[in-house]
Order: sequence, then structure tokens, then C-alpha cells
Amino acid sequence: MTVKIFFPTCCSPSENGLLIGRWLEEHRSAVVLAIVHFPFIPGNVKRYLAGLERETGLRLAVLGTWSNIKAQKDEQMESFLGDLKSIFIHRPWLRITREASIIFWDCRIEGVDEEAEEEVVLVYYDQRKVMLSELHDATEHSEIATVFDTVARNRTLFALDRYDEGPIKLTHWQSDGVEASIIVELCKQASVPLCALLSFILSLIFSVTRALGRKPLSFLWNKLSTCEQLGKRLDSLQLICGTKAAKDHTLFMRKASTLVSLLLDVILGIVLMSWLYRGDHIGQLANALMPVADRVAVELQGLLQWLMGAPAGLKMNKALDEVLGRFFMYHIHLWISYIRLMSPFIEVILWYIGLSACLGLSVALSVLSDIIALLTFHIYCFYVYGARLYCLKIHGLASLWRLFRGKKWNVLRQRVDSCSYDLDQLFLGTLLFTILLFLLPTTALYYLVFTLLRLLVVLVQGVIQMTINLLNSLPLYALVLRLCRSYRLAAGVKFRMLQQEHGKCLRLLMQINPLTYGKVLQQYRLPSSNLYPKDSWGALCKKLFIGELIYPWRQERDKQD
Amino acid sequence: MNIRSVWRKVLYERQPFPDNYVDDRFLEELRKNIYVRRYEYWSVVFESAVVIQQLCSVCVFCVIWWYMDQGLLSPQKLCEVGLGFSLIGYLLFDLVDHGVGRKDSGRTRWDDLKSSLVFVAFTYGFSPVLKTLTESISTDTIYAMSVLMLLGHLVFFDYGANAAVVSSTLSINMAIFASVCLASRLPRSLHAFAMVTFAIQIFALWPSLQRKLRAHTPRIYICVTFLFGIFAMGGLLSISSVGALLFFVLLLSVTFLCPYCLIRLQLFKDNIHGPWDEAEIKEDLSRFLD
Repeated sequence: MTVKIFFPTCCSPSENGLLIGRWLEEHRSAVVLAIVHFPFIPGNVKRYLAGLERETGLRLAVLGTWSNIKAQKDEQMESFLGDLKSIFIHRPWLRITREASIIFWDCRIEGVDEEAEEEVVLVYYDQRKVMLSELHDATEHSEIATVFDTVARNRTLFALDRYDEGPIKLTHWQSDGVEASIIVELCKQASVPLCALLSFILSLIFSVTRALGRKPLSFLWNKLSTCEQLGKRLDSLQLICGTKAAKDHTLFMRKASTLVSLLLDVILGIVLMSWLYRGDHIGQLANALMPVADRVAVELQGLLQWLMGAPAGLKMNKALDEVLGRFFMYHIHLWISYIRLMSPFIEVILWYIGLSACLGLSVALSVLSDIIALLTFHIYCFYVYGARLYCLKIHGLASLWRLFRGKKWNVLRQRVDSCSYDLDQLFLGTLLFTILLFLLPTTALYYLVFTLLRLLVVLVQGVIQMTINLLNSLPLYALVLRLCRSYRLAAGVKFRMLQQEHGKCLRLLMQINPLTYGKVLQQYRLPSSNLYPKDSWGALCKKLFIGELIYPWRQERDKQD
Repeated sequence: MNIRSVWRKVLYERQPFPDNYVDDRFLEELRKNIYVRRYEYWSVVFESAVVIQQLCSVCVFCVIWWYMDQGLLSPQKLCEVGLGFSLIGYLLFDLVDHGVGRKDSGRTRWDDLKSSLVFVAFTYGFSPVLKTLTESISTDTIYAMSVLMLLGHLVFFDYGANAAVVSSTLSINMAIFASVCLASRLPRSLHAFAMVTFAIQIFALWPSLQRKLRAHTPRIYICVTFLFGIFAMGGLLSISSVGALLFFVLLLSVTFLCPYCLIRLQLFKDNIHGPWDEAEIKEDLSRFLD
């Protein structure tokens, strides 16, 4: 049987002493955590270990002895170390001996059955990295996961450095002095009252929004993507400002990522704002926006003129064509006069709207999305009219086609039944069927053109929405962590074989495999609102074909135009 | 094994024969031509009058449309004549069976008046729409569509046969569709109105009168059919003599040649029936379905 000894690299230069660690019976491996130096009182060591065990819930023990022979063998020391076995009873008892001139250590295992030849594998690990890293995708009780868990849960053991006046002296990765930063400590101290204050303010804001979000107004709110964005911003602030410390790693990472992406968002927003307000870019925008809206209206007029002629050589019903064309023309006319009316105020409105950028780039982008929705309202109207008309025709044709064949839709049985109609019903139905059939191409063309326009607008809005989602859901903290401290997010470990000699134990160096970037994104992506259509492409095409409204979906939770 | 064991035509018993074994009695149950019917030549000729009538109706409709399209027939005159014939037909409809059919169906005069009002009002109201309906569509397309629809009308018409393809609803609808298509090519909306009204009269009302005439006064029915055929032929002759000749040949062959062929071909009928036929349910099962 093989026995694995996980040995921290930082302990290799230390003086003679006792090995403290955990023995994993089911994997037959020993995790060495620290070395206790002379002089110590055995009772104190035992008491100290018992105290640690109460705190962490892990069973620690004295695993054996460590001797680091600098000059020449000291027989007396050897025998003393051998005697310690009888004081700290542990099976198996490890004896690791290092000699200054030889790189191969001497590892012996005592206290196991004599007939079984024990083979020893010495695995060196970097204690600091293993303690700080978070192992992903490991099965619950695998050996590596247990090793990582053991090291991570014994933080208190490592908090004791050589300057502390403790009962015993230890060597581990922090024994030369505890790693800490004054700034971080100050931030930690300051964050608690700050968070409390912020969460109080947030609760006030929440009560106000809840009052505003009542029935009549909520109809308006959930149509605007800005409002939704603000709501989400409030939620994430609430998440960050929670006064309780994060319970587990996932929650901590989520909090940190939210904070970082919020900060980035606000910084980008402020950059945008400073660009807008420096050098009168607002005025330029306002001056550009009106001609664009005008231009869109004029282009639409041109499109309608084209449709009223013989578009693409298609022969349409002239009378219906004319009627529809005039109707839409009148609509555009109304729209143009509305824009003319608005144009003097547009700069002021933009100036105030621009202030929203200080809340973050995503808020500014959703305001932009809303502005686009408002400025293309006529296209939306056209689309709805076209779709309704087309839908009516398609449904009419479908039911009249059944009448044409002498069938009818049986509502109770949900199927098509045959039916005998009266003569006047037949006559009227067929007359209407003929008329609808010959008028269908005209309606369909109008519907097609306006649907394409609408899809274009939806596409633009979708791109904006996707940018916002990207800003909101990118786990920036995890990515930066992966980039700068790649060992913090571990996907697994790899072992490098060190120099070997026959008859000596196998020596391995454990290194941490960092998580791939794809996995990081997948694992730590922040939840974002799902704005994508729930329909598949086929269902979407079917909806388009039968003239149902596609974008402001008519389901419960759906939102926006 | 007993060689002389008797074979029985059952599968639930193990017998010393292969599954596909049959004995000498196999063809005893063979029967031939059990459903054959003996036709009388002249009665078949009489029955063919229905087909003749329908062919003539389509022909007359096309001829009238041609006259209207050429401007030889004014819509007012067509309306007047149509109205006159309709009134005569309406009276005949009740006179032929002395009002028995009306009593059975339970239709009142008021219902008839309502139906006719619906026809006239809607046709008149939609006639401007009809006139502009197919303006931008090619005339050839319209002709092709109308020909298809009228052929469909002839195919699906209820000649009294008991077949799955027969659907009087579809047949009437196809005729109306064709008439609307053709009416939309006419120069003015009044023309369209007259045309569609005429289509209703000839495709919907006339067959129902015919059915009654045939059932109650076969002699008059034959005379009417003959006169109608002559009239259709005359109309066609005034447009195209070749067409009239072809139509005449068609009518003759439908009336005399086809019944002759039917009766001759009955002689070659060779149907066999036997125990291998599909099972046929003869009993009336409707008592289980209440």
C-alpha cells in the first residue's frame, strides 16, 4: 500500500520538530500543516490541537517527527525523536529526515503492519496557494478536495506567527509574519457602518418605489426599459450593501463581481457624461436628432409612395392600395407635426436626460433605447395596423376556406367537421372569400414592409439591450482574479515529478491548474433579465406568418416597447 | 397420423396440414358478378339528362358572360329576364308538388324573401368592389381560374351518384367563385351585379327546380332539357360554329353513346366474390349508437 504525504514547501528549511496535520484514513494520506518546534510541553501541544479541533471540526494530530540535519547526525537527537512516538500515540507514525547535502529525504513509516511493505510518495504543495484557492468541479470526497478543504479550514492555525507569545512555536507559510494590508483592514472596518447607512437609504427608496409601482402607474413603468434598469440597479445595490458577510464563496464572488461591474458601469457613465457636457455635445446631438427623425419620416413617405405605385412590379389592388397608403401618409403627417412641435424643447430634454449617465452607462443606454422606441413610434403603429389587418384577413380566409369546402370548425371537439350550410350563407361566404383572397397580396405586402421596418428597430433595441446585459452580467471580479491570481480559482491540480533515485521515495510537486476563462464566465455570470424571446425560430416565423404581434410579447412577464 | 383426417378451415386447432393448405372445396363458394345491375337503355338516357342540364347551364352562363363582355346584352335586360324566369320558376316550384315539399322543409315565404333580399343587397353592395377586384390581375389568369372552377363545379356536382367525391357545397361555391372572377372583368359594376345574380339563378336555383321537375313530371323535364339544350346550342352557335359543333357532339355522346357503352361494357364485367373478400357488416348497427 502507498502512503502519500502532502508536505508544505515552506516547512522544508525549518528546524527539528513535530509534524502537525491530518491523517486521511480512507485515502491513506497525511496532510502536514505545520511543524512544532522545541521546546514544547506535550500537554500544551495536545491541548492546543484539541482547541483547534473544536474550532474547525477537523481532527488534527501529531503525525510524526521532522528532523533537519544540518551538519552531522546527532544520535542523541535521533533517539529522542524516536521516543516521542510513545508520547504522541499515532498510527502510522511518520519520520521524515532531511540531510543538508542530499536532496532526497528519508521517510519512514512506523506503527503499521510489519509484513506490508509501505511505499511513500512525498507531495510538496504551496500552502499559501492551496489555502486561498477555491477548487471547482471536484467530487465531494475526493482526495484533492479533502486536502484543499483541510488546508483552507485551518486558517486559524496559520494566523499564529513567530512573534506571537503562544504556548508553542510553529512553522507554516505565515510563520514569518501574517500577511495583511492596512488599507484593506481600514476598508473592512469602514464598510460596516457605510453599508448599514446605505441599506437604510435603500429601504427608504424601496418604500417610495413600491408606492409608485401601484396599479395605474406600473403599466407605464414596465413599458420603459429605463425603469427596469433602475430597479435592477437598486437590487444590486441592496445585494452589495447587505450588512452580513457573504456566507460562502459563490455569494462572495457574486457580491464582488456586482460591485466591480457597478463601479465600472458608473465610471463609464461618468466618462460618457463628461464627454457629453464638455464642448456642447448635447446641443450637437439635439441638432442632429431632429433632422434624423425628419429624415426617417420623409423616407417612410417615399416608401409609401413606392408602395402606392406598383412596388417591385407587383400588381396590387389599386383601390385598397390607395386607401391604405393615404391612411399611413396621414399618420406620418401627424408624426411630422408632432416632431416639429417638440423640436424647440428637445435640447433641454436631452440635457436633463444626459444627467442620468451618472447612474451608469447601462442606465444611459436604456434611456437611449427608450428614446429610440419613442422616436420610432410611428413605425410601431404601422406595424400594429398592418399586423392586425393581415391577421384579420388570414383568419377570415382560413374560416371561409373551410366554408368553401363545406366544413366548419367544431369548437367543442377541437376539429374540423362537415356541415351543411344554407344557400345564402354559402353565397355570402364565397363572395367574401373571393374578395379577401384577391385583396390579400396588397395587405400582405404592407404587412411585410412594416414588419421588416419593425424588425430593424427591434434589432437595434436588442443590440442595445444585449450591451446592457453584457455590462450587467460580466463577472469582472472573477475575470480579474483569474488574470492576476490564477491559483485562486482552481480547476484541479497537476503533479510534476521531481528528480528520482532508486530506493528513495517518489517526490512530486503539486501545482494548481487555473480555471479556463470560459468556465469562469459560465460559473460566475451574474443573473440578468432574460429579454430574449422564449419562442424558437420556427414559432417566431409562424407568428410572423399568421400576423401575431411579435415583440411586445403578450405573455405575462413581458415588457417593453 | 391419420391420413384421412378431415381438414377444417380454422386456425385455432392444430391440424396435420400447413397453414396455407386448402382442400378441393375451396372454389365451391366462388360467386361471380353478384352486384351486377341490368340497365335499360332508355332509362339510362333519361338519367343522363341531369348531366346534359349541367353542361348546358355552364355553357349558357359562359355565353351570357360573352354577350355582356362584348356589350351585346345590357345588364338591365339580363336582370329583367332573369327576374321573370325566377318568378316563373318560383311559382312552378310550388305548383309541381302542390306545396308538399315546402310543407316538409318548413320554409316560409318570408324566409325566401329574406334570402333573396340578402342575395340582392350584398351583390349590389359588393359589385363596385367586385369590379375593381381583379383589375391588376392578368385576364388569362382569370380565364384559367374560371375554367378550372367551372370544371370543378361539373366534377363535384351532385348528379345523384353515391360517391365520396360528390359535394354539392363545394360545387356551388366553385361556380360562385368562377362567376365572381368573370364578373370582375366586366366593364361596369352593374354588369357585375347582373352577372353574379344570374350565376346564382342558374347554378343554385335552377338545379333545385330541375330536381323537382324530374321527380314529379318526367315528361315536362325531358322537354325542358331538350329546349334548354337547343337554347344553349343556339347561343353558342351565335359565337362560334366550331364550338357549337363540338358541344353538340359532346351532348350527343353523353346522351346516347355513353349509355350504350355502359350497357355494352356490362357484358365484360367479371367480378369474383368468395370467402377471401373483406368482411362486410350488413347488419344495422345504429341501435348501438344511441
